[in-house]
Amino acid sequence: MSLTEVSQSQQRRDLRLPLGLLLLLAALSAPFVASTYVVHALIIALIFMLPAHGLNLLVGYTGLLSLAQAAFFGIGAYASGLLAVTYGTPFYVNVAAAGLAAGAIALPLGIPALRLRSTSFVMCTLGFVIIGQAIAKNWISLTRGDMGLSSIPKPHFALGPLSFTVSGTTAFYYLALTVGILATLGVWMIVRSPAGRNMIAIRENETLAESVGIPTWRYKLIVFMLSAVFAGVGGSLYAHYLTVVSPLTFQMYYSTTMLIIVLGGGAGTISGVVFGSLLFVGLTEALRVTPELRMIAYGLCLLVLVFWFRKGFAPVINRLWDSIGSAK
Amino acid sequence: MFSTILEQIINGIVTGSVYAIVAVGMTMIFGVLRAINFAHGEYYMLGTFGAWFAIDYLGLSYEASIVVGVLSTIVIAYVVGKFVMQRMVGAPAESGVLATLGIALVLQNTVILVFGGGYKFFSGGYIEPVSILGFSLAEQRVIILIVCLIVFIGLELMVTYTRMGKSMRAVSQNVECCEVVGIDVPQVVLRTFILGAALAALSGVLTAPVNVSVYGGMGELITFKTLPIIIMGGLGNVRGTFFAAMILGIAESLVATYVGLQFRDTVGFATLILMLMWRPHGLFSTQARF
Repeated sequence: MSLTEVSQSQQRRDLRLPLGLLLLLAALSAPFVASTYVVHALIIALIFMLPAHGLNLLVGYTGLLSLAQAAFFGIGAYASGLLAVTYGTPFYVNVAAAGLAAGAIALPLGIPALRLRSTSFVMCTLGFVIIGQAIAKNWISLTRGDMGLSSIPKPHFALGPLSFTVSGTTAFYYLALTVGILATLGVWMIVRSPAGRNMIAIRENETLAESVGIPTWRYKLIVFMLSAVFAGVGGSLYAHYLTVVSPLTFQMYYSTTMLIIVLGGGAGTISGVVFGSLLFVGLTEALRVTPELRMIAYGLCLLVLVFWFRKGFAPVINRLWDSIGSAK
Repeated sequence: MFSTILEQIINGIVTGSVYAIVAVGMTMIFGVLRAINFAHGEYYMLGTFGAWFAIDYLGLSYEASIVVGVLSTIVIAYVVGKFVMQRMVGAPAESGVLATLGIALVLQNTVILVFGGGYKFFSGGYIEPVSILGFSLAEQRVIILIVCLIVFIGLELMVTYTRMGKSMRAVSQNVECCEVVGIDVPQVVLRTFILGAALAALSGVLTAPVNVSVYGGMGELITFKTLPIIIMGGLGNVRGTFFAAMILGIAESLVATYVGLQFRDTVGFATLILMLMWRPHGLFSTQARF
């Protein structure tokens, strides 16, 4: 690397930090400039970003294509909703329980599923969603079947004498933003760690990774559970935001959406997932007038992604980011 | 008691025949493309809708509507095959999953957009009961059984003796070698795909009089039923698919009667997951094929 190159990259980094802060400022001020509806869409995007981050660890970094995200999303939503409605537990307990429940259920599901390769693994994970929906529909004494759970309380925080209920859209936006930023930082720390590099090694060549001493089986299982924890937390936020949960939370639609966010944004990149959730949730909201057209657009998006943007839109964003960053 | 069980088994065999005709197309497509076709149930739905349209709007007879249903599906399958499936030759498994999921969304929602999402009444077919060996069975069910047997005998013969069947087997074994010896792989893929879609459509049209209702989202359930079957049968295995479909059909029928109707649709995936734990390669295959 020559000296001029070093100075150029130095120059870029200097500009990227203020740009990043500007984006953060934009995110923080969104509720004051955008309409309630746009803020609602942003909340949904931030909530969907959580399972998408989890899926990205699995698909983008470890190379395991899973359709199970909707199952763990649903488990999180139900765990959280049931706790809140039945026992009236505080919000942070519900979120933690939702994440733990999804992660714990992922363990016995992951053990048989991860023995399979490519197509069979995809199929098996799809099965989890379908079985999850059947349980939510038929275990009526617990889940109230098709009626679902309603009047799940809005998040409530109590710190000593201070108590605060997150009831408005703006307040929920900040809650979702906080969780979203924490999750993004969490994923960033994971993929930057040696564990993240081992995951990439598994993605690139599992046999080779195993032969250099990486415990691939344990890694795959842990990442599978971790992706479920992210999805569970997302499901919990979703339940508390919409205040209702029904068996429809276990829908292929959610798995497909998560997959589009990850692959459309750019699998194996964190910025891609953040951008992808904003873009594709935005697209969904923009087309909400006709649900059929929305799904057709989604389907066409998938085809375009597969055949023209194999790596998603992340390379495009990165190039844009670099060109803005290096401009004077 | 015993005769009830026997009756449920016969019902299960009829259901299994329906699944078998749909699933065999999917398993053949997997054979040549190494891709699971998540849109396969959509061709079943398209066939049914074509036939429903022919009866309700064109005033045709049920027999003619079968032709309309299957032919219209073939046209759509040709377009999809040309633009999407042929591009998937040699593509990674993920591409296949995503592209076919996309096609499923497009086809299903286009039909809902054009015809509306509600349930439609299918008025055709032979629903008069006939008595065979002391069991009462709707004529249509007997027809389904007979067609299933004809289809499978025909496929066995085709795969073994015809040029098309031989090239299909060749492509499913090694794409590169086929290219070397001059087999037009994209052409084989296209033909296999159209054959599979046509069989799915045929199955849809034959089952419509039994199911009575027709709706845009019906393909999804069929896809979900077919997936465990083709994995249990051993991917790309025609004979295995037949037996796996029968097993699933009978299991569903028994579960619906003795456990509860609401659990019927999960039997497939539950069996699949249990089976994968002790035979990860499918019931009828001795080695891993993928």
